[in-house]
Amino acid sequence: MGPNVIANDSVVVADPRGARRLPGATALRSLARDPLALLGLAILVGAAFVAAFADLIAPGDPLDMAGIPLQWPGDDPAHVLGTDSLGRDVFSGLVHGTRASLMIGLSAAGVSLALGVLVGAIAGYFGGRADSALLRLTELFQTVPAFLLVIVLVAINTPTIGVIQLAIGLASWPEIARLVRSEFRLLRDSDFVLAARAAGFSSAHIVVREVLPNALPPLIVTTSILVASAILTESGLSFLGMSDPNVVSWGGMIGGNREHIGSAWFLTALPGAAIAIVVLAFNLLGDGLNDALNPRLRRRPS
Amino acid sequence: MDLPIVATDSAPAVARPPGRFMPAVRRTLRQAIPTVLGILVLNFALLQMVPGDVVDVMAGESGGATMESMRALREQFGLAGSIGERLVAYLGNLATLDLGVSPRYNAPVAELILDRLPNTLFLVVSGLAVAIVVGVLVGVAMATWAGRLPDRALSLVNLLLYATPGFCIGLMLILLFSVKLGWLPANGHATIGVTLAGGDWLLDRLRYALLPIVTLATFFIAVYGRLTRAAMLEVRQQDFVRTARAKGLAPSRVMFRHVLRNALMPITTMAGLHFAALFGGAAVTETLFGWPGLGRLTLDAVMTRDFNLLLGILLLSSLLVVVVNMLVDLLQLWLDPRIQAR
Amino acid sequence: MVRTSRRTFLHQASLATVLAGVPAWALTEAGSAMASSGASNGTLTVVLNPEPPTLVSFANTGGTCVTASSKVLEGLLEYDHDLTPRPQLATSWSVSPDGLTYEFKLRENVKWHDGKPFTAADAAFSILLSRRYHPRGTATFANLDAAEAVDATTLRLRLAKPAPYLLLALSAGETPILPSHLYEADTAVQNPLNARPIGTGPFRFREWERGSHIIYERNPDYWQPGKPQVETLLFRIVPDIAARLNGFRNGSLDIGESSPIPLSEIPNLDKYPHLATTTKGYADNAVVTALEFNLEREVLAKHEVRRAIAHALDREQIRKIAFYGFAVPTVAPIVKSSFPRFHLDAEDPYPYDIRKANELLDAAGYPRQGGGHRLGLTLHANPFNEGFRRTAHYVRSALARIGIDVTVREQDPGSYVRSVYNEREFDMTVSGVSTMFDPTVGLQRVYWSKSFNPKVPFSNANRYHNPEVDRLLEAAAIEPDVEKRAELFKRFQEIVIREIPTIALVQLQSVTVFNRRVDGFSKTASGLRGNIADVHFAQA
Repeated sequence: MGPNVIANDSVVVADPRGARRLPGATALRSLARDPLALLGLAILVGAAFVAAFADLIAPGDPLDMAGIPLQWPGDDPAHVLGTDSLGRDVFSGLVHGTRASLMIGLSAAGVSLALGVLVGAIAGYFGGRADSALLRLTELFQTVPAFLLVIVLVAINTPTIGVIQLAIGLASWPEIARLVRSEFRLLRDSDFVLAARAAGFSSAHIVVREVLPNALPPLIVTTSILVASAILTESGLSFLGMSDPNVVSWGGMIGGNREHIGSAWFLTALPGAAIAIVVLAFNLLGDGLNDALNPRLRRRPS
Repeated sequence: MDLPIVATDSAPAVARPPGRFMPAVRRTLRQAIPTVLGILVLNFALLQMVPGDVVDVMAGESGGATMESMRALREQFGLAGSIGERLVAYLGNLATLDLGVSPRYNAPVAELILDRLPNTLFLVVSGLAVAIVVGVLVGVAMATWAGRLPDRALSLVNLLLYATPGFCIGLMLILLFSVKLGWLPANGHATIGVTLAGGDWLLDRLRYALLPIVTLATFFIAVYGRLTRAAMLEVRQQDFVRTARAKGLAPSRVMFRHVLRNALMPITTMAGLHFAALFGGAAVTETLFGWPGLGRLTLDAVMTRDFNLLLGILLLSSLLVVVVNMLVDLLQLWLDPRIQAR
Repeated sequence: MVRTSRRTFLHQASLATVLAGVPAWALTEAGSAMASSGASNGTLTVVLNPEPPTLVSFANTGGTCVTASSKVLEGLLEYDHDLTPRPQLATSWSVSPDGLTYEFKLRENVKWHDGKPFTAADAAFSILLSRRYHPRGTATFANLDAAEAVDATTLRLRLAKPAPYLLLALSAGETPILPSHLYEADTAVQNPLNARPIGTGPFRFREWERGSHIIYERNPDYWQPGKPQVETLLFRIVPDIAARLNGFRNGSLDIGESSPIPLSEIPNLDKYPHLATTTKGYADNAVVTALEFNLEREVLAKHEVRRAIAHALDREQIRKIAFYGFAVPTVAPIVKSSFPRFHLDAEDPYPYDIRKANELLDAAGYPRQGGGHRLGLTLHANPFNEGFRRTAHYVRSALARIGIDVTVREQDPGSYVRSVYNEREFDMTVSGVSTMFDPTVGLQRVYWSKSFNPKVPFSNANRYHNPEVDRLLEAAAIEPDVEKRAELFKRFQEIVIREIPTIALVQLQSVTVFNRRVDGFSKTASGLRGNIADVHFAQA
């Protein structure tokens, strides 16, 4: 289903002393002690590995009609996970699909981040008229139901991977913008910012070198959720039939075999499980990062 | 003694209780109108970029057409004319609350939308309600046993619900409850052709609605579960809770009166945001279950280039979101008097 | 009571029969159907997907529109499975030897659902309406000079040039007869009656809940007494294919046309003894899947390249995989099943031969380069049928073997029409061309150079221009003699099979799925898309 919503259950406060604080060694150490976060990280590293070496793990074209259609896993030793309705190998599809799914997630998140940070930073730092105008713009985009907007954007163009990434990214930037804006509003009155201003640094320098690094923690957490959300949205789009037919993606595998749910439900279950595992991993990682970067809010009670 | 009613924008939040709602309402209305107009222009511009118009689609569906028939249809549907002319005409109609006619369905857009709107609203509101109730309960359970086995187990289930795509869950629910067990219907919103009354009608509708509502709600159950757990854990450490405990108030009273009430803040904020998300995401659930709602209508409208209809839907759903956000603002004001109405 | 009605009916029928065109068996068939009738009973649940935008098919003829319209609105004629005309609202007809004058004798004592009488004026009005708004009517009736009601039961059509296909264009779905007392020609498309139609048909409109269902009820005053034998017609709108399959299995759906369930599931239907299928009832809408080339692209303008591609395609694979076996390979674009007299039984000049394909591409100047690739082409898949999409994927796979990289484009209908027909930004497209009820009406637009028009979809997408083909098609369009016409069509097919501006691949078979308790719906070439006045429930 994949609505573009980020469940941000963290409350973030900048270090009251105003010292520059990058997510440093402390954070990494506490991350390393969190077994669930490590699990998530391990899964993602595994997925990245599969994506990078897809051609070695499953050689050949995953879209090639290689075998007899609709074979169950285990029927044919040449196709360990079975074949779909066009005779394509499911294992090959899952492996190559990793690349597409990860890429879509990361690129869409990248687009959202770029736009959101830009808008949020300007609005939050400068305030005033710019803030009102940008806030209005953000509200505008937030009021249109995101998924509907994505559908319309994809329908304007041919559904290719690039268009889908852009559309999903364009639909999710308002939340990033809001987050960045509230961060910047908090931080712009901090000591170190005032000091930098007094020292004569330009606004651009201050925003990028002083404020942004301090605003990173919640952004990092939100990014992992954003990627997960983008992968879910893409699967929803594919289910509705709007996926790129030249690239294998897990969502596309589910969407293309919808009608075989009764007799060949593994065609839905296997890619669905793959999506769930990767999304889960991003969430675990995001939770772990949240705990590591926000010592104030701990999952284990004191 | 009655205070004189002083209604100015600069009235502080310490005015009489009813008064503190008015500024919020007024603010929303002031901001809503330009927002809605902006949405309108944005969508209009967006739709102009969509290739093909409704006559193209009709010709495609008919397996062919001729110049003359297409021209005749375009004239009838008012599709001749420049973009500017059409935008002006549309805005003019809007001023008289006329959303236009859908050329494809040959019916007023308002009528088409209002036919389907209750179905989607029912789904979305029920889904949200179920998600909040179940999510909060789950979150409370997790927070109560935080760190111990029930918490970990529930957290895992929670995460799985969050990570699995909704339509996958829906498909599996259909497979289990409808195909294999045959307990629940998998398509439509009511039994057709029979008129039922009272309890029978309700039961029939609920049978059809159960699976779609659960499918729509699963993702958000997970969200609210985590939210509740996190908010409760945070608030539990704060002063007033410790004070209450120190005073000797029973733990459950402490939980539900103080902690929960303050944890509702982020929940209601998110609920407002989620309304928009649910409205869009309902498109997938409605397609899966054949639910005759606005989401499916939107998909149809996009596929068939029915611009009038699409504009009407986008406009209406945006208006709904504005209204819901306003209600959430008011609710939060009521929940936590510390918030100032700007 | 039944006996009296039958006698009266036969009496009336014998009076009404005047000229040629009413085969004797038509009368006896009606008679015997009546004899087997019991009391009318029950609700027939028909599945419909997608939801038709209107319930009247004079301007919008998308599939389900025709299905919904033809139960309420009738046509002058209906057709047998081999496209022989039979009476419906017209009881007899004659064509002048020069093919320029048609005269129809219309049925008497037919009433509209609002009680007013049906007259020739309605028929004339409807034909003129079709000429103005119908996607094909503007072409079918292009040669029409006048349509006049000579008297209340006689319709005369005068043509400027012969139109040998005109007699086949008068089915309920193709040219519905509308009540002229309730429609104005200028505002016909927006008439609110299009959503709650009034016609002469066996069923009356009762309600339409958009997104959910349409309900028709039996017309007690129908001109065929005793019919229909079904009390209520319930159309359920079910967009999800798995839900439709479920509906048939659990008995909540009785019948559906145009392959309502996944073709891959049809072999599994023998586990459900109450279900059956048939591929009859589509003779008036034969669709051939074809690979069309954009001849304005330099690569594809070369005959060798097109031949190489033809050699790389195996029709048998397409039949088996893309259509799950529900297709008939065909080399000629005019299919045998619908047009046995016009079909050319030719051998494939470019049979499946990978080696030959590779040779041709080498000779044409496209050698294999790095990675074995020769060249790249785009392929747009027509979205109106799942089979086209699957065929496109097959083509992609097949051409990869001869070094052509194919990029498949799947778009929604509006975008597809734009890309292929308006903007013409395509290399190849897998599309379906329906020969409809006559090759001139269905096929000519694909090959005739003068039908090339970027503003009109499903016109000549290739930009094919062969003066000899043009001449043959134009001559066939106005040739009243069937033998001569067949000869013209066969020579036309010879040329295009050789030149392959488009490669005809397979004729797809549509399947009607039904519950065995339903019968009598497949008597005409239109099958379930006709007026199904004969439908009834089989005696248990």
